[in-house]
Amino acid sequence: MDYFLQNFPQQLVNGLEAGSLYALIALGYTLIYGILEMLNFAHGDVYMVGAFLAAGVAGVFVHNEVAAVPAGLAVALMMVLAMGGAGLLGVGIERVAYRPLRNANRLAPLITAIGVSLFLESAVQVWVSPAPVLVPSNALVPQTVFHLGNVVTPLTGVMLFVVAVALMVALDAFVFRTRFGSAMRATAQDREAATFMGIDVDRVIMVTFFLASALAGMGGVLFGLRYASVDFFMGYLLGIKAFTAAVIGGIGNIRGAMVGGLLLGVLESLVGGFISSQFQDSFVFLALITVLLIRPQGLFGQPLADRA
Amino acid sequence: MSAQPTPKYSIETTHPLKRLWESGPGGWNHALTRPAVLIPFFVVAALVPLALQYVEDNSSWTGAQFWTLILANCAMYACLAVALNLVVGYAGLLNLGFIAFFGIGSYAYALVASDQLHQHYPVWAALLVVVAVTLAFALLVGVPALRLRGDYLAIVTLGFGLIMRDLILDLDRPPVLAGHQFGPDGLNLTGGTNGVHQVDPFNLPTSLPLIGPVPHFRMYYWIFIGFLALSIFCMLRWRNSRTGRAWVAIRDDELAARAMGVNTFKYRLLAFSMSAVMAGIVGMIDAAFIFNAFPGNFDVQQTVQIFIMVILGGLGSLPGAILGAIAFTVPPFLLQQFVFYKYLVISIVLIAVMVFRPEGLLGTVSIRPRQTMGGTLELLIAETAIEASELPAVTDAEVADLEASAGAIVEDPEWKQ
Repeated sequence: MDYFLQNFPQQLVNGLEAGSLYALIALGYTLIYGILEMLNFAHGDVYMVGAFLAAGVAGVFVHNEVAAVPAGLAVALMMVLAMGGAGLLGVGIERVAYRPLRNANRLAPLITAIGVSLFLESAVQVWVSPAPVLVPSNALVPQTVFHLGNVVTPLTGVMLFVVAVALMVALDAFVFRTRFGSAMRATAQDREAATFMGIDVDRVIMVTFFLASALAGMGGVLFGLRYASVDFFMGYLLGIKAFTAAVIGGIGNIRGAMVGGLLLGVLESLVGGFISSQFQDSFVFLALITVLLIRPQGLFGQPLADRA
Repeated sequence: MSAQPTPKYSIETTHPLKRLWESGPGGWNHALTRPAVLIPFFVVAALVPLALQYVEDNSSWTGAQFWTLILANCAMYACLAVALNLVVGYAGLLNLGFIAFFGIGSYAYALVASDQLHQHYPVWAALLVVVAVTLAFALLVGVPALRLRGDYLAIVTLGFGLIMRDLILDLDRPPVLAGHQFGPDGLNLTGGTNGVHQVDPFNLPTSLPLIGPVPHFRMYYWIFIGFLALSIFCMLRWRNSRTGRAWVAIRDDELAARAMGVNTFKYRLLAFSMSAVMAGIVGMIDAAFIFNAFPGNFDVQQTVQIFIMVILGGLGSLPGAILGAIAFTVPPFLLQQFVFYKYLVISIVLIAVMVFRPEGLLGTVSIRPRQTMGGTLELLIAETAIEASELPAVTDAEVADLEASAGAIVEDPEWKQ
């Protein structure tokens, strides 16, 4: 029990840190699922590409000694380029692989999504690097470590949490407070009715893909800065876990995805710390299966007759 | 249904081969699944290694073993593709944990037929164990997961596949949960990353009358071909049975199927567990063939590879599954220097097939985008009418196929032959 009490705060902090990353990626799943009712299997790999873009930018600044540029500017540039690049990638994927199948059998876009996911992974593996690529995080961000009681957390971890939460709040405001956001919500509710109301559904879907993928790209930047290493397979498991988080929160529900992501991160960290680090992932999927069985609409989802 | 021959086509002057060509993937599939095509195919396939051996004995060429091994690999993937076709093509269930059942079968056999647990069961007892274990796992996943719809099922089965991979990798020592160790010290179930070695091969004769000595690899090629023939026979029988029609009905429109009184849960569970057991048996044969159960053979990319075989060949098509297996096992062997690009090519083909020809080469499942909005009944009538007006002449078999693919359940004496 003493062991538990002593380590609980640290595990909680670790969990919130991992959870904010899950939440950021889960938002993308939930946005796209909300609008197209499709599982964008490639989303985790868009996050991976974002991380590689960030690693590339960081590498150019640090290794070529473009020292005239302050580190803060380099980090900002990383964020802008990774978000923009990942966003455009998402829009491109939608255009090439999903739009031709928009009215097809539900199986078809899911299969192309698996294809896109495999394509991005192998493309990065073949053309960029089969080995992990290091991100020179220590040259860009101060490596301060905060001590709070017996809880230890690095600045980059705090950054991950703060930026993720700020983006979530911004997205929430965009979707619930702006005119375009209400067009998005209308499209999610009923695509055909939205068309009759004069909403350009194609544009809404494009912007949704851009936003979702840009969030994933930002997730990639924050991950790279925090863990200083990216690899072509990093989006796979994380993507599945983030989708799990989205389902736990109630797929299609933006606030649900945020809470689901944080919950999943904390759950995973507590399981890893106190039950078994060996079977940590197995417990995550067990949690998914349990939630789907007991409450298929997720913790915050509206019960839908034919959703599950 | 009577087809009105328009002046554009006339029955008398259309060459049968032209009609076959115009009948599209569904028609080609139908033509290729007749016994008159399948039986010679399997006879020739079984004779190929003997022909290779004959050429090797009478020339300076030495590739008989190499090519038989490639063909055995090919036949194994064809078996898996046919099993996956049952669950995805017939029943429309996206089982992304499919390869796990192959792994479960492999490990179940390896554990009862190796020194790992010091058990050496005879083949038939081991087969019973493999079937029982894969069935148990299939029910464990299927009973809860099949209550969920499409993409949820996909993610749950994917999660199951990942859990199984974790278990296979981590059960080389007793699991420790919250400080408590389960099982005695030194318990090693799966061998972790090393897998299980020195698995017993089946106890089979090493020489046959008339043929003479049969090397290991050729015997297992024949076993795979035999299992493939058996599964295709079963699949064709199922396809035209009440069960098969129920699967197709559920796949094409679950709501309509339920309204017709089809017990959707029962039939989905049946398809899911039959496919799992088939994959498990293939896994068992593979473990005996390569003397190993190795975790690297069951990663998720393998599932994608079998999916692309099924999709390229055409969902719901058995000859398509065999074609897909050939297309994706033989070239990688011949182009070893490009093997790095394998998954890149596979992924591009997968996307291109789905976007440009979603029914695959020989598919019977219509997954093209629907241009009309409307209810099931309207679609059914519209599709039937369009197909009838465009076909030069509609045979009874084509009508049967059409009705089956439209989700109608019609009793037709011809199907029962």
